[in-house]
Amino acid sequence: MTNFSSANSGRLAGRTAIVTGAGQGVGEGIARRLAAEGANVVIAARRAVTGEPVAESIQSLGGSAICVETDITNRESVAACVAATVQRFGGLHIMVHNAFRGGLPHKLEEADLDRHWNHMSQTGVWAVLHTGQAAWPHLRDAGRHGRFIIVTSPSGVEGSANIPLYSPVKAAERAIAKSLAREWGPSGVTVNCVAPVAASPALLTAFERSPALQAALEARTPLGRVGDPEADIGSVALFFASDDSAYVTGQTIVCDGGSFLGL
Amino acid sequence: MVSIAVTIQGAGALADALRAADMHSDCATTVVVPTIGCQAKPFTDLTDADFDAAWEQPMREAIVAFQGAHKAGHTRLIAIVPTIAMSGAPQLAHVAATAEAIRVMVKSAARQWGADGITVNCIAVAPEMFGIDTAAVGAVSIAPPALATKGTVVDDLVPLIRLASSVDAHHLTGATLTADGGIWMAP
Repeated sequence: MTNFSSANSGRLAGRTAIVTGAGQGVGEGIARRLAAEGANVVIAARRAVTGEPVAESIQSLGGSAICVETDITNRESVAACVAATVQRFGGLHIMVHNAFRGGLPHKLEEADLDRHWNHMSQTGVWAVLHTGQAAWPHLRDAGRHGRFIIVTSPSGVEGSANIPLYSPVKAAERAIAKSLAREWGPSGVTVNCVAPVAASPALLTAFERSPALQAALEARTPLGRVGDPEADIGSVALFFASDDSAYVTGQTIVCDGGSFLGL
Repeated sequence: MVSIAVTIQGAGALADALRAADMHSDCATTVVVPTIGCQAKPFTDLTDADFDAAWEQPMREAIVAFQGAHKAGHTRLIAIVPTIAMSGAPQLAHVAATAEAIRVMVKSAARQWGADGITVNCIAVAPEMFGIDTAAVGAVSIAPPALATKGTVVDDLVPLIRLASSVDAHHLTGATLTADGGIWMAP
């Protein structure tokens, strides 16, 4: 866990970020990394029981964080999260949409739209619409500090044999990022994607069930390991959130240890 | 040599033009022409109804069309999308999302169905072929088409469908053939 010491340079001091799905995994890692750099962080979690401990942990380390229970599939809930954020911290500079639900393996020819598609479409693409729209007025006000960061996947570029309908959802998020980069660029707001392979709870559970899966994944990864949500993925999100990336927009950084090299 | 009528799945002017071309192939082929919207609108103004029409319904139709091609035993599946799938476009985020999703669903299907001898490919055409007026919303490209034309259905798209649907294309799968006259040249 990144400590909140002078080793961190406070690159996000005075700025406020919302991270969806920050109650665990990649979202938690991103939230912790942004907080360590001085950002006020809103842990937007579906359930407070997962989000509150993360916010409290960040606070205990000297950071600034609150939890706001948020259903990203509900437009009003997302708007309420943004309103609560602005009321508490006076603005919103960085929206990170990470939350996602779904991803059951399936055969495409047998895929059931209700079982295999709805959750992914709702928590992926629809939630990009909700989070982006709710954040936009504040990101625009933040001007050259405004950031919309979407957590997508290498599968959104290369397709997936195991979860074929996961890939189009993640691909759509990248296309929206490119389009918004063009649309929001004149305001100074950047829109980028992070495509990680990280030790999320879901992946760790899969590893427990199938050690061979872990071995295979690590074997095909040049760096030989799965990414750490905070140290590896959070740091890339930090780059996009910070001034260091002010001239980078519409891009995807694949952070998977070098497994996918197709961009 | 067998000659099988190519099945065109989809509605709209482009799908109708492809039906009128009356294509045949030596492989059973489905061409999916998604119902890609063409209505430009700022992202922040999109309503849930707009997004349902531009994203949710076309995706559901495309998934069902892919499944239908598989169920019919077709060994060639080809999806047609506009190049804004790859480039993105201002005021067309909702349209680009659907186009790119279908382009990448092609890759998933190619990976999953390849062992069954089914090839799945994508042809990306100039957005104007879908009725999308890119000039109205700002640049999609930074250069004019190298061939000085954005192409026509009969002269430029149909021959590529013939290629991808043929026996000769047995080792071509998961690919995107970009046929926009040389606007989008990445990678």
